[in-house]
Amino acid sequence: MDTAFIILSLITVGGAVWAVTLRNLMHAVLSLVLFFFGIAGFFFYLNADFVGWVQILVYVGAVAILAIFAIMLTHNLTAEDEPEFFSLRWLTGLAVAGAVGAVLWFAIKNNTAMSQVAPVGVASNVADIGRKMMTDWVVPFEVVSLLLTAALIGSIVIAMEQISHRK
Amino acid sequence: MEPTTHIPWIASRLWLIPLLPFLAGGVSALLPRRYRKLSAGLAIGAIGISTLLSFCALAESILRGLQPHAGQQWSAMQTHEVWHWLTEFTWFSYGTTSLKMGFVLDPLTAAMVIMVSFVSMLIFIYSLGYMDRDKNFTRFFTFLSLFAGAMLGLVVANNLLLFFACWELVGLASYLLIGFWYHRPSAAAAAKKAFLVTKLGDIGFFAGLLWLYHATGTLQFYTPDHTGALEQATALAGLPGIMGLSLAGTIALLIFCGAVGKSGQWPLHVWLPDAMEGPTPVSALIHAATMVAAGVFLVARTYPLFQASPQVLTLVAWIGAFTAVMAATIAVAQNDIKRILAYSTVSQLGYMVMGLGVGGMAAAMFHLLMHGFFKALLFLGAGSVIHGCHNEQDVFKMGGVKKHMPLTFWTYIVGTLALAGIFPLAGFWSKDEVLTAAFNWGSGWFHKGPFVLGCIGVFLTAFYMWRQVCLVFLGEYRGDKAKAGHKHVGHEEAETQHETVPGAPHESPTVMTVPLIVLAIFSAFMGFSGLPEHANLIHHFLNPEHAPHNVNWFVIATASALAFAGLGLGHLLYGLKPLAADEPDPLKAKLGKLREFCRDKWYWDEIYEATVVRFANIASVVVDFGDRLLDGATVGLGLLARGLSLINDKFDERAINRCFDGGCGSVRLMGRCFAALQDGRVQSYLRLVAVAAALLAFWFFLK
Amino acid sequence: MTTLAHFQILASLLFAIGLFGAVTRRNAIIVLLSIEIMFNAANLSLVAFWRYSPHPEQLSGVMFAIFGIAISAAEAAVGLALVIVIYRYYKSIQVDEMRTLKG
Repeated sequence: MDTAFIILSLITVGGAVWAVTLRNLMHAVLSLVLFFFGIAGFFFYLNADFVGWVQILVYVGAVAILAIFAIMLTHNLTAEDEPEFFSLRWLTGLAVAGAVGAVLWFAIKNNTAMSQVAPVGVASNVADIGRKMMTDWVVPFEVVSLLLTAALIGSIVIAMEQISHRK
Repeated sequence: MEPTTHIPWIASRLWLIPLLPFLAGGVSALLPRRYRKLSAGLAIGAIGISTLLSFCALAESILRGLQPHAGQQWSAMQTHEVWHWLTEFTWFSYGTTSLKMGFVLDPLTAAMVIMVSFVSMLIFIYSLGYMDRDKNFTRFFTFLSLFAGAMLGLVVANNLLLFFACWELVGLASYLLIGFWYHRPSAAAAAKKAFLVTKLGDIGFFAGLLWLYHATGTLQFYTPDHTGALEQATALAGLPGIMGLSLAGTIALLIFCGAVGKSGQWPLHVWLPDAMEGPTPVSALIHAATMVAAGVFLVARTYPLFQASPQVLTLVAWIGAFTAVMAATIAVAQNDIKRILAYSTVSQLGYMVMGLGVGGMAAAMFHLLMHGFFKALLFLGAGSVIHGCHNEQDVFKMGGVKKHMPLTFWTYIVGTLALAGIFPLAGFWSKDEVLTAAFNWGSGWFHKGPFVLGCIGVFLTAFYMWRQVCLVFLGEYRGDKAKAGHKHVGHEEAETQHETVPGAPHESPTVMTVPLIVLAIFSAFMGFSGLPEHANLIHHFLNPEHAPHNVNWFVIATASALAFAGLGLGHLLYGLKPLAADEPDPLKAKLGKLREFCRDKWYWDEIYEATVVRFANIASVVVDFGDRLLDGATVGLGLLARGLSLINDKFDERAINRCFDGGCGSVRLMGRCFAALQDGRVQSYLRLVAVAAALLAFWFFLK
Repeated sequence: MTTLAHFQILASLLFAIGLFGAVTRRNAIIVLLSIEIMFNAANLSLVAFWRYSPHPEQLSGVMFAIFGIAISAAEAAVGLALVIVIYRYYKSIQVDEMRTLKG
């Protein structure tokens, strides 16, 4: 374990914990941005530069901004009626998440292949990714492009319909 | 099958037979309501071509059967060889294994597919007339096509999973069709009941399917290299299963659960009579060609598994025999023309299942095929009567219909005599085959029991059918002539009704009578394909390995005598002195309480009601005390619900209380369990999914 | 040296945190964002597997991660649009109140 890993872990875990616990929605989103940056940092650390940039563009640039817009459009800056710390609901959530986490941890611990160290010289460059995307992965690529178009139109239609109803 | 054998083109294109009705159904699903002719034309055209293809398949199979076997003298189709034509395709592959699907053409398929498609076609044509005035005509033909397509798919499948998929599609189509007049609460309830009751059996079937896959690693029935699931039956017989049965027996028992549900055997027969709520052509389709035949066909298809386990076969025989007599006694005391036929179907299915149980697979299939013809005939005839009598279904309000509907009358007589088993109609030969198989089953009272029950059933069958004929067709019309025409105006069924002159019954249009005549001809003469002894073509065709039974004059004489006795008694009670209007059933005086017991269907519905309600009460107490141990087959589900409700009870007490307190009183078992899970909160679902995934993964690692 | 197990444990931890938020919080926006955290945890796991795989030249993990990001972006867009519509309808975005599909 090296320092970079520890620092990035602290950033991501801290951002994630704040994001799911803070009551002020704006603060939660900002912690989430921190988390997204941490994950992007991990992608750079793992030599997956392209994924890291995509991560920043899509999550920080789009998803987080969308979330902020959603918060503002719903006039809802602080979350009301959120469960108290150590309330029953809170403990259930902890138990459920703990159970899933424990199973994952159990699976990882019992797998010998997990203890290997990183091979050297593994990198991904954009040209390779582009070539793969247009050859082996062309069908998923097209499907995802359709999906994105559908999502784009879908979000507009969902939001539009209500506006026309109100008129 | 030797690899050099030429595979005829129809065997490799067998998938066309189910595909065409599916396509027709799909296209007419997209048609607007006003394209009535196009939709009906598509449906009938598709099933017509399927019938032609089925005929080709049958012809090819017969030719194949005629080929002399190597080293053996040619003699009247006795090849003593089991053969299949297979087509395989890979559905998907994961890693090194792949899931194969396929179609099979063998004698069983060939015989079944022609009956299903031919009878379906006639019923489709008949529906043209019967559903004439229904405003959802297009939708009706869509569902009919789906129904027929699913059934044909099931017949040609060479894979238990494909079989199961089509099986469930049949269930879905039956749900849609029984509930076709969904605005009637009774129809909606009947559809739901049919769906849920058959699903109970399907749980067993699915468990059997999974177990079979686990044990054999394949779900193909037959494979070219003889490693199909059925071809490993003998190996499975050597492995231990549960409850002292062999593994083959266990799987056969589970699969039989599915057949019990679908083919309306006791104790899951309760849905079949209620299914009468659907339009009459649907009843005919369900009772003759498709739905209920599927169960018997399933057992016939997986017969090697059953043969490997004598205990299961014994159980099958007794369930069949018991169902045959029980349903026949109920039919004796019914008043609704369609309900009498419905219980008659349950009873006849009992015969088929009994035939399977006593080892007469060919006999049972023969009876299934013949029954398909004459029961379709009877239902369509009943539909014609109902149509002609202005949607009257009570036989005590009919009478004298013979004068007004001569064609319907004569064809109905043919169907009745065929069902009663009168020489030389179809039912005589097939019922005789089944009874002979039962007679030869073994010695001792235990093995003769099914035969005796079967003989009682023959008597009852003849009696209730003749009772029905006398009440409906003979005597004077007992309906209220003046009001008959107006009676149902505004009634829910009015949309199917012809605007006729009020009063006397009338003959149905040609489009309805022609199928009746065709079916009557088949019911009369098809029986000759299964003459006893060496001339038994069907037997040689379906089951070449076993020689058919010799003529058993004792069985023939007993069955015929009992059938004539039944007819005679029926005529004595109902025929000699026709009932006047409002006169009570003569049986009422003679049988008293016993008749009420039969009329009320042996109180099966009430028994289930009582057990379900009591169960609900117990469960609510149990829930209140936090000790939710659900019994029987629901233990798994119950434990899941229990774990969840424990969590929910503590943390979301309001939701859980409302669900359980509100649900416990009235909602049935399944509904209640699932209602508890479905509190409408997406996060509860997520919680459940997460916990379940964790548990599954944990169990996987521990294993 | 950092091993694959470190990354996978971290990814599981993040996944569990996201799951905790998704089942605990009542605010629909936070629930959606928690689901994004779970997506990111999965992507991290995939990229780490790619980094440690014997055939990195096939770029499978990277491709998976890119498609995962694209799909979660679509999900976020539709999800947040739904949140806005639900707010207009219920005047609230408390997930507890959306229970019309109660069985």
